[in-house]
Amino acid sequence: MSAEAAKIEKKAEKSVVKHGKKVKRFPVVSLIIVILGSIGVLVPVYWMVITAFKPSTELFSIPPTIWPKNFTLQGFKNVIHLYDFPTYFLNSMIVVCGSTILTLVVSTLAGYAASRYNFKGKGAFLGFVLVTQMFPSVIMLIPYFRILRMYHLINTYLGLIIVYISFQTPLCTWLMYSYFKTIPKELDQAASIDGLNHWGIFWRINLPLAVPGLASTAIYSFINSWNEFQFALTLTSSERMKTVAVGIGEMLDDTNVFYSDMMAACILASIPLIIFFFFGQNLFFAGMTAGSVKE
Amino acid sequence: MPSQKNQALPNSETKALKIRKKGSLTQDWVGNLFSFPALFVMVAMVVYPLIYGIVISFYNTNLINRFEFVGLRYYGRLLTDMTFYKSILLTVWFTVVTVAGRAVLALLFSSILVKDNMPCKKLFRSILVLPWFFPDVVIGIVWKWLFNTNYGLFNFILQSLHIIDQPIEWLSNPSTAMWAVIVASIWKGFPFMMVMLMAALQTVPKDLYEAAELDGCNSFKQFQHVTFPGIMPVFSTTMMLEIMWCFKHFTMIWNLTKGGPVDATRVVSIDIYKTGFEYMRFGESSTRAVIVFVIIIAFTLLQKFLQRKKD
Repeated sequence: MSAEAAKIEKKAEKSVVKHGKKVKRFPVVSLIIVILGSIGVLVPVYWMVITAFKPSTELFSIPPTIWPKNFTLQGFKNVIHLYDFPTYFLNSMIVVCGSTILTLVVSTLAGYAASRYNFKGKGAFLGFVLVTQMFPSVIMLIPYFRILRMYHLINTYLGLIIVYISFQTPLCTWLMYSYFKTIPKELDQAASIDGLNHWGIFWRINLPLAVPGLASTAIYSFINSWNEFQFALTLTSSERMKTVAVGIGEMLDDTNVFYSDMMAACILASIPLIIFFFFGQNLFFAGMTAGSVKE
Repeated sequence: MPSQKNQALPNSETKALKIRKKGSLTQDWVGNLFSFPALFVMVAMVVYPLIYGIVISFYNTNLINRFEFVGLRYYGRLLTDMTFYKSILLTVWFTVVTVAGRAVLALLFSSILVKDNMPCKKLFRSILVLPWFFPDVVIGIVWKWLFNTNYGLFNFILQSLHIIDQPIEWLSNPSTAMWAVIVASIWKGFPFMMVMLMAALQTVPKDLYEAAELDGCNSFKQFQHVTFPGIMPVFSTTMMLEIMWCFKHFTMIWNLTKGGPVDATRVVSIDIYKTGFEYMRFGESSTRAVIVFVIIIAFTLLQKFLQRKKD
């Protein structure tokens, strides 16, 4: 008995020592893996940025120049003056912000209801929210094309906003539902004893507490709508109404466009998302994972 | 749970029952009211177009003035259409390899990044999530430039390392195009899964590892018996989402190859798009979409069934 105990103790001691060693030195292999991964991520990004600043003649030098010999902003100038990029940008902003705000209103209310109340058809409602994730979005493409045509909403902001709301609402509802579930219900009881009605409990107690979840859901919805390409491509045909994604997608079809211009356009199109990368990243991922991890 | 909320209110049991009944009635009403806008969106903007799409699949139509009912003719024709089978197989192949690639990278990086003694943890995490913050179209275009035959970076690197002599036509060669597309979409997609897994890994209790070590588990066994069960719920949810997303993915593939060369990357989403908006055969296109929808539903039900059996 005692021999066994001693053995275990010895083993434990050994593992502590081992552990202590581990704390001091991080395994080099792991570090190398992460560094290689980072290089793999950064090289394409670097190549995009560097190409955007090259003059178009330098694109075709063999071997390619790793660092541009002549820095130029010509690519950016072309994109703005020749391709009407500011209009695309404005279109995207209107459509994406409009749909994101409306989606948030709808999905916050629904997510809150599902987390707090037991209403008729709640199970079916939540099930349906998840099922919509499985719909291949192309199945909606032709019906939407036809429906928007019927109501003369092709080539309008409203048309695209409606489509984007329909895409974002289900998963955003689910995200808000997960987030509201993490807010303790005891607060509701206290507030209800203090005489707040249902709306008051939602508006004054739960909504302020859900701001991080709200922010990350908003970022998610924004990114997804900003990324959307297929529906914007199909449902807008006039040059005036193109979104950024469609605008740069169509630059690619034009064989006369230089890659330096295209990369400049790519950088401009990424700006809103890169802002989130720098300023909203932690918030975003905290909100995204809050519900799923605690479940 | 509504009953939880009511528990604070009543004193006597009969009163409690009364209030609970009444309470749940009003709550029912409030809950319905709050969720009504979302319900409206889903019925009017998801269910209605979906049903409309199924209806269109029975018609030979140009969506403007020709609506000729053809019944199940398109469905019958699809059964013998080899190109459609091929595009489904291609999509499955694309999905399996992409999701597997993302999962491997995500597991690898997340398990390294959660370690407490990892140097420059925040920096590496920020770098590794970067791809997720670029629009799909941008990634398609940037990778098209990287894969460029004569002036692309990849051929330059491979040639200067003397791995290849002649530049490879990555995107215009049917045997490499799919791989190029897969690599680009793994690059774009692994960060999302990595972040989800990092959050999950942080919830695995540390003393479990110590216990496992005491029991003589090596790192592989630790992963098998401690880490993996701990992250399993998040892992499976994320995998399901990734599979759905990959199966219907369009943007990056479209911008990289447009489904070519020789249909080598013509996955179902591109197949459906081309049938509808390039050949203007909207009925047939809808038929294909409906079939894909049925396949996805079947897959989900199967997965649910298997999971229930396991539990």
